[in-house]
Amino acid sequence: MSRTRSAAEEKTVNKDESCAPPPLLEVTDLSVEFRTPAGQVRAVDGLSYRVEAGRTLAIVGESGSGKSVSSLAVLGLLPDTATVTAGTARLDGVDLLALSRKEHRARCGDQVAMVFQDALAALNPVHTVGYQLTEALRARRGMSRADARKRAVELLDLVKVPNAKARVKEYPHEFSGGMRQRVMIASALSLDPAVLIADEPTTALDVTVQAQVLRLLAEIQAERQMGLVLITHDLGVVAGVADDVTVMYAGRAVEQAPVVPAYTAPAHPYTRALLRSIPSASGTGRLSVIPGRPPSLAARPSGCPFHPRCDAARDVCRTEVPPAAVPAKGRMSACHFASDIMAGQEPAPDGADEHSTGRTTAAGNAAATAFDRGDDRGDSGGDHG
Amino acid sequence: MGRYIFRRVLQAVGTLLLVMLLLHLLTTVAIQLNGNPAQAFFGDKVASPAQIAVVEQRFNLDDPCFDQVGNPCLGPFVERLGQYAQGDFGTNLRGREVSDIVATAAPNTLRLFCVVLVTWLALGMVLGSVAARWRGSPGDHGIRLTSVLIDAFPVFVLLIVYRYVVAVPLSRWAEETFGEDSWPPYWFKPSFDPEHPWATVLVPGILLGLAGSAAFIRLVRAGQLESYQGDHVRTARSKGLGERHVVVHHVVRNSSVPVVTAVGLTFTEALGGAVITEGLMNIYGMGGVLWGAVRDDDVGLVLGIVTLLAAVTVVVMIVVDIAYALLDPRIRYE
Repeated sequence: MSRTRSAAEEKTVNKDESCAPPPLLEVTDLSVEFRTPAGQVRAVDGLSYRVEAGRTLAIVGESGSGKSVSSLAVLGLLPDTATVTAGTARLDGVDLLALSRKEHRARCGDQVAMVFQDALAALNPVHTVGYQLTEALRARRGMSRADARKRAVELLDLVKVPNAKARVKEYPHEFSGGMRQRVMIASALSLDPAVLIADEPTTALDVTVQAQVLRLLAEIQAERQMGLVLITHDLGVVAGVADDVTVMYAGRAVEQAPVVPAYTAPAHPYTRALLRSIPSASGTGRLSVIPGRPPSLAARPSGCPFHPRCDAARDVCRTEVPPAAVPAKGRMSACHFASDIMAGQEPAPDGADEHSTGRTTAAGNAAATAFDRGDDRGDSGGDHG
Repeated sequence: MGRYIFRRVLQAVGTLLLVMLLLHLLTTVAIQLNGNPAQAFFGDKVASPAQIAVVEQRFNLDDPCFDQVGNPCLGPFVERLGQYAQGDFGTNLRGREVSDIVATAAPNTLRLFCVVLVTWLALGMVLGSVAARWRGSPGDHGIRLTSVLIDAFPVFVLLIVYRYVVAVPLSRWAEETFGEDSWPPYWFKPSFDPEHPWATVLVPGILLGLAGSAAFIRLVRAGQLESYQGDHVRTARSKGLGERHVVVHHVVRNSSVPVVTAVGLTFTEALGGAVITEGLMNIYGMGGVLWGAVRDDDVGLVLGIVTLLAAVTVVVMIVVDIAYALLDPRIRYE
């Protein structure tokens, strides 16, 4: 039901937004459920985002927040125990999730490609790097062996692996971690995808190598005007390379905003807490941490899923799921007190609840048309239907 | 790679010497405890001490150490090694050259093993792959159940049932249907025919292969299931490669390492199974000859053949190790 509604809404809003560049990839109201012994568990709940050419969207969240699962869903690579229960993923006007498995697969690599986290495991240990770089070109585009070899060297050069000519004959285990991740990136680029999804591409690397790999990704993206989705749990990584950020918590987007405003004035207590827990070189005293642990998806807290760990929780947070508020143009925050948090104020203490809830909802309605990166319609429509 | 092979060959030679020493010690103890096998030469007849002495000398059993329990008898061992090195494997009790016997028997065993190997690979790879690909499906459960059933039937039961219950009616039926001079009647002949070695070795080979394939099916299935869950398979799929390409190049190819290892291990295990099969089906092969040699107390022949089988095993292991290194680049330079 929520699926049809969000599709209808999308049409009307798209008209209003004709000035915005068309998105390369637009995910709307995506929900993914896992079959577990404890029953169906929703790992991604009404996630929406869009990626435009030449822009980088960072999806940030703790482990288990659904950020990787959502991108696997876009590529049709979910494990057998998971199913997409709602939503669309439009790529070049085609809803990937509505395609047959075979047609979906044919668009992977070609239009949307993925860079995986642990390159040592993600590359096949028994094939040479050169083989893996051009495997898709050979199998799908019928490239000859000689051309493929040449192309493999070019791809390695592209990701700045030194001595590419000799190294295409080597195996993944003969590469260092950083070089391996470069190989991974080169292999994802082999079919010239329009959108690249990088799932924690730098997690397994040490800090200096991390910076190099991120810079490389940014350069390639700028040069090819690709859309880049950067999945990470590290807000520090986001600051340097992303244009927009989506913060996920317990399967939902809790805040979506351009990077700079999200950093200077976060509109969700979770984002605020994440930013406070980034260690800084000049910092003195204790590093602030977020108390508690992310909720188990099987036993989601009532109301706002973040309320047990939130330092600004009020009574309403325990009972009501916050709607997607629009505290400012181009921003979304799933918090009852989004405007207060963004303004740097603590929400009014309990007892003044009615007033503040009313205000955010009103603001949300008023700003719905002004919200030009409108990623949250599915969210609010789905949850409060 | 060259150095790796060289090192493996050296190890193999060491292993072989060790096996021969062990074999020698075992037979020596057996002789010391059970009495002189030279007596076996005469069967039921009573031989004079002079006659026995002549036979003892002929089969290198005249060393006094064979009468002293606990003496390792290293003298005759070194002597035998020297003879082996010159290509002299001695004779059996009837004076026939061991090397001659082996030259007649070994090809039949090799034929049997060819059939066995093809059966393993065909059954194991096909059924194992199907079970892994459609995990949890009725087909998967059926295949697993079948493999357990096969395991529950020892190979000799399978063979006895075949030989005494199935083979004769089948062969008669084939004769009536296809004529006496055609191939099918030979396939189902209940015993080996040296005139038609391939045809008469086919069914026993398939049965022996069937018995070995049960473990093989499960191994292939487990290996491929592990591969299916590997990150590299997900990567291959993310490149938009067809499922068949992914299965062949990233699942089957990656799970081939344990499969090759298992082929080696099962092969050596089948050497024992071959003794039973050849014995039961009257195949004149290494197993059948060994069976007879042990029954007849023919020490020279037993030693010669077991040494040869040990050598075959060691060679197979080297081949497996080399295949292993070829299939998995990660172990090449260790």
